[in-house]
Amino acid sequence: MSMISNQSQASKVATSEPKKGSSPMSSATASRKPGEPLKFVDPVFTLKDVAVSYGNFVAVSDVNMQIPSHDITAFIGPSGCGKSTLLRTLNRTNDLIPGAKVHGSLFYHDADLYHPSASAVEVRRRIGMVFQKPNPFPKSIYENIAFGPKVNGRPKKSELDDIVEKSLKSAALWDEVKDRLNESALGLSGGQQQRLCIARSIAVEPEVILMDEPCSALDPIATLRIEELMAELKKQYTIVIVTHNMQQAARVSSYTAFYVTEVNLTSDRRTGKLVEFNETKKMFSTPDDERTEAYVTGKMG
Amino acid sequence: MATTSTSLQSRVSIDRRIKDISFTTFLSISIVASLAFIFYIIYRLYNNAGYLLSWDLVTFFPSYDIDTAGFQSSIMGSIWVVGFATLFAVPVGVMTALYLEEFAGKRNRFTALIELNIQNLAGVPAVVFGLIGLAFIARGPLSWGFTVGSAAIVLGMLILPVIIIITREAIRAVPPSYKEGALALGATQWQAVNKLVIPSAIPGTATGTILAVSRAMGESAPLLLLGALSFVTFNPTGLDSGFTILPLAIFKYASDSREEFQVLASAGCLILLAILFAMNLSAILLRDYTLRKRNV
Repeated sequence: MSMISNQSQASKVATSEPKKGSSPMSSATASRKPGEPLKFVDPVFTLKDVAVSYGNFVAVSDVNMQIPSHDITAFIGPSGCGKSTLLRTLNRTNDLIPGAKVHGSLFYHDADLYHPSASAVEVRRRIGMVFQKPNPFPKSIYENIAFGPKVNGRPKKSELDDIVEKSLKSAALWDEVKDRLNESALGLSGGQQQRLCIARSIAVEPEVILMDEPCSALDPIATLRIEELMAELKKQYTIVIVTHNMQQAARVSSYTAFYVTEVNLTSDRRTGKLVEFNETKKMFSTPDDERTEAYVTGKMG
Repeated sequence: MATTSTSLQSRVSIDRRIKDISFTTFLSISIVASLAFIFYIIYRLYNNAGYLLSWDLVTFFPSYDIDTAGFQSSIMGSIWVVGFATLFAVPVGVMTALYLEEFAGKRNRFTALIELNIQNLAGVPAVVFGLIGLAFIARGPLSWGFTVGSAAIVLGMLILPVIIIITREAIRAVPPSYKEGALALGATQWQAVNKLVIPSAIPGTATGTILAVSRAMGESAPLLLLGALSFVTFNPTGLDSGFTILPLAIFKYASDSREEFQVLASAGCLILLAILFAMNLSAILLRDYTLRKRNV
């Protein structure tokens, strides 16, 4: 399983040398000088000089990175470093906050996410989101899953039945709920609710699923199940996850971006900055930046 | 160890315990006092006019003869006026609240001004609405006369701000995570509002609306100015029809010099209270029902 995913990553790393028995991971980094940004073939997102501000407050700035497809990318960093803000700009959820503004260029494949002609509704249909706190709708389990397909078209009942079953199976929830699809989703446990929310995202067949600390409200067993699910889902979907839990980033992701809060001593303004974006293995063993090392080893943050 | 040094005895001082007890006693007295007042009124009314309660009371029209005097035209008048007032005020109020909460965008001076004025409207004395109705609806530009239609518009205007405020509260109480979740699935703002926010806000809105409507049921001052006091011996037949309402029929009987008619007024009060009680009860039942239905 992990071997397969490693090879698929390698094929996407643009700078990788011909693989001659060498590990795909190391070949990706070998040709790259420390500090040089990772480049991918057909990245899902390409961020250039991205900054996000709320009024006069700049939450995060100078972000340059690419996010690869069909893989898991983790955003880590201390509270207030702008990682959640950045995640929310990836599907224009930040638009909903009055005063929020995105600067720089943010491309989804070859389309500008913030081009005036880009529809936030269409963006969000393609780029789903799972929130920190499970937020099932006060409807039945069936209706929760059917909600997305219904707002995006008029599927027939038989099609809906298929979508519901398929989505719940993909989210590893089908066996637990198949006999009570018409019961309220609010009666599920926290972990089940979060898997339901993942199933609900899957039901509209997005390409990307953004996850904003999806396990922070769950117990370790439920967390483990979500992590297993993510490993399964990355075969079909691109996942970007914000997490406070460094072990989680290390366990699930192939690539990790580390952000910090930089304090401007003269103005006392706090702004999130991307410190390092690298393969997760390297981030947790021999990171390029000493701040990353201090953070992942627990000396900071 | 035979004896233990751990003491689980309360360390709260006697002084504080007395304060505690006297405060809860004060609270219970307040409840008893307010309830006692209502029960006393009902008791007095029933004692006074209980023997009059029969179907005749609601089927007879007003009359100068005590044996054939009743409240039918005023009960029907109240139902017509309040019914049309509700039909007018609820859709307008709910849509205004939805616009202000979900579609008006960020707070600016314009929405702040609207908000301030809605708050002000809710505090305007009912008789002022009556005067406005008299000047602009019954006479003046609309010249609709002393009709059910004029009265319904005035009563509707009276309860409109209350309905707007209550509906906004109900909408605000809907967890924002519902809407966020819907938008994240590619729903439009309207789909999210229509499919999640509105259904979740219905219990609160419905309860508040019934309470507002039952207030309209007991309102008399504005309709006094719209010709509702006249001695009406027919039921309304349409919006252009003349009318009277229950509170004013009660007032009319109560101001009669003959004692039998004053007793009849007490009986009218009992009918009004019964209607209000039924409406408030239905508000509670409706809220419980919609809440239960939501949680499947």
